[in-house]
Amino acid sequence: MRLIKYVFLLAVVFAALKVPGVLFAKPLPVSMLQMFFFFSAVVILLAMTATDEGAAGLVQPVISLFIDPSYTISRAVVIIIIPLIAAWITFAAVCDEAAAPPIVRSLHPSPPSAFTAYGRTIEMAGLANPYRAIEKTDEAAFRGLVLEGGKLYFKNCFFCHGAKLDGAGHFSQGLTPLPLPFKGTDTIAQLQESYVFWRIVKGGPGLPHEATPWLSAMPAWEKMMTEDEVWKTTLFIYDYTDNRSRSWAR
Amino acid sequence: MIFYNALGQLPEFLQRKRPRFALEDFSARRSFNCAVLLLVLFATLVSSNVCLASTQIGKDIYQKRCSWCHGANGNGDGPAAAYLNPGPRDLTSGVFKWKSTPFDEPMPTDQDLRASIAGHKPATGTLAGLNGTSMPGWSDVLSDDEITSVIDYIKELGGLDPPALPSIELSGMTNPTDAEKARAKELFKDRCSECHGAEGRGDGTKRLKDDWGGRTWPRDLTKPWTFRAGSGVEAIYTRITVGIPGTQMPSFADTRSKKALTEAERWAVADYVASLANADTMPVAGAVARAARIETETPAMPDDPAWSKAAGAAFYLTPQLIADERLFTPTIDSIVVKALYNERDFFMLIEWHDRTKSLPGDSLAASLADGQVYPDGVAVQFPSALPDEDNATLPPFGMGGKEANGAVDIWFWQAQAKPGNNETLRILQASGPQKIKDMDTNASGVTAIGNYDKGVWRVVFKRPLKTQTDGMQFNGRRFITFSLAAWDGSNAERGSKHTLTPWLWMSMTGPPNKSIYFWPAAIGILSFAIIWLIFRNTVRRG
Repeated sequence: MRLIKYVFLLAVVFAALKVPGVLFAKPLPVSMLQMFFFFSAVVILLAMTATDEGAAGLVQPVISLFIDPSYTISRAVVIIIIPLIAAWITFAAVCDEAAAPPIVRSLHPSPPSAFTAYGRTIEMAGLANPYRAIEKTDEAAFRGLVLEGGKLYFKNCFFCHGAKLDGAGHFSQGLTPLPLPFKGTDTIAQLQESYVFWRIVKGGPGLPHEATPWLSAMPAWEKMMTEDEVWKTTLFIYDYTDNRSRSWAR
Repeated sequence: MIFYNALGQLPEFLQRKRPRFALEDFSARRSFNCAVLLLVLFATLVSSNVCLASTQIGKDIYQKRCSWCHGANGNGDGPAAAYLNPGPRDLTSGVFKWKSTPFDEPMPTDQDLRASIAGHKPATGTLAGLNGTSMPGWSDVLSDDEITSVIDYIKELGGLDPPALPSIELSGMTNPTDAEKARAKELFKDRCSECHGAEGRGDGTKRLKDDWGGRTWPRDLTKPWTFRAGSGVEAIYTRITVGIPGTQMPSFADTRSKKALTEAERWAVADYVASLANADTMPVAGAVARAARIETETPAMPDDPAWSKAAGAAFYLTPQLIADERLFTPTIDSIVVKALYNERDFFMLIEWHDRTKSLPGDSLAASLADGQVYPDGVAVQFPSALPDEDNATLPPFGMGGKEANGAVDIWFWQAQAKPGNNETLRILQASGPQKIKDMDTNASGVTAIGNYDKGVWRVVFKRPLKTQTDGMQFNGRRFITFSLAAWDGSNAERGSKHTLTPWLWMSMTGPPNKSIYFWPAAIGILSFAIIWLIFRNTVRRG
């Protein structure tokens, strides 16, 4: 009986945890739910087997299922159905040929300390957007730069990264991996502008080894955009998405 | 003021209702006049204020979200416009393609504009919007009220009035009988196939343009996920009934036209068009091609019946945007792969819809092409050394690279370069787009045969599983890595201007394998044994 109570309690908690996902389209991560229920199950088992009575109570329904004459049908069902379900799950797993082999890649690989572009070696340390300072000193000039960046974005980037900057451009569906979104707080908001600059300038071909290069369709833009243009485009993608780049603490 | 007729008197019906109202009294009439005037003035002010505020909000949203394609002034000339096909709508023209009002009513409803902005759900994939275009759906970014404001601003830009006629009636939908279905097929052939092609693949024999001077291509009706404003029977019926304003798609409800159809006929044709959808050519995210083992047949020809039994996998084609001369406005968007093999040879059928058979020197091809005609083509690419592990580093998918294991083998088939010529097959080994080496085609053992029929190219590549050359060998691995590229020569595609896929996977399924039953059976028996043991134990102790 206690077990049923616990299960009921857990079901209520599960429902509460599902609410943000179902009603507000803000689901919790699956891994978090799995972890929570794993530990809950362990704690319940520990709590119930702490005393001999509790342990006996836990095993009692199983024993009565197997020896109580009134459970003959349930007994037969359990003995036959459970192995069949196990066999079926295994069969489905064996037959699943539709999935491609998983590719392990790191989303934001660590950048090199320096890289070569535009005919010189660029140090990552101290690299900053030269236009960022204008934001505070000359608002009108800054808006002009953002507008220029926007024009560049819509002539070069939006085919893949999207008109909404959500990584869902009209050519995005054919690409593996999918283009990254800029909107939201988990991509460019987690990075420094210098990192974004490096990724744009060196593209997929410039990725370090752990990011399994060559699967990315991101071109190395150093061949098609000037340094200035890349910095302006960076201004635009932060401005449009209301994101701020990470910066050094002062 | 509307209470008064020209002589300053109330209409009769109002006078009758209020006989005791002292209209003859001059001062009473004047104060009544004043009150009405004030009321009207107030109402106008309030409503125009609300309108002003809404269009201003709409204008601000428009400048932030829409102006990049549709232009700062709505002329359809934003910075992105030159790179798009179809181009962004000129919103000042007041002509809207996706409307539900009858053909003789030029104005769309607010709901039509809302649907175009919020987006339509596609038949496959996740990108809502005007399907098959670069216009995304905005309902995840803009609230209903914000979309209303944008609609108000767009109506101002286009000088739109509310439509005088309501949306067309959709209540007449019925399930057509077999006779009606047969008749619909006839009607389609007569009314639609000139532009949409005999099988509906958009491979018509007519060059089309829109009112803005741009080139338009008739819809490939077998690909419902590219139907701009939805692919349900109702949506198709709406297009047939209303037409697509600004294009050469007419209304088939216009009784002045010799091609007019009755309502029942239009529903039947809509049903027929919906039935043309071909699920086999619909790309699905994460699809994997399959090479099935066969025993006897050698399906070297594209029309061999063995191919109809083979399972196909469909993939999106993306234009080449990385290197050299790039392509922004592709005309082919998906490609289907089927593969078979026996103990000696490997066969691969590549199938894609292309509205034009691009034959340089042919007058029909020249009349349909955009610019000079180049031959159509397709290429399959493999890593020269198929990696031993599934997650091994692959060569750059854009024709390989210089690093170790960066080389790729490419089988490049091209249709006839002029009438009377043969198709060509080149075998290339590349380590980057600038480092391409022509190999000996005969020594490679690869052969290819292509066939164009009613809007579909079918090309079969054949090669022995093992060859003496140093290129790619089928090494018995279950997953083969490959990628594809395709050229539509009528769209000025040649050289680096083409569409492509990233690296894809093909599983070699092998002959029907009894071992797949082993583990399920073993697990089943094992779990039965465990439960039985627990059962015996409990019974003995209990």
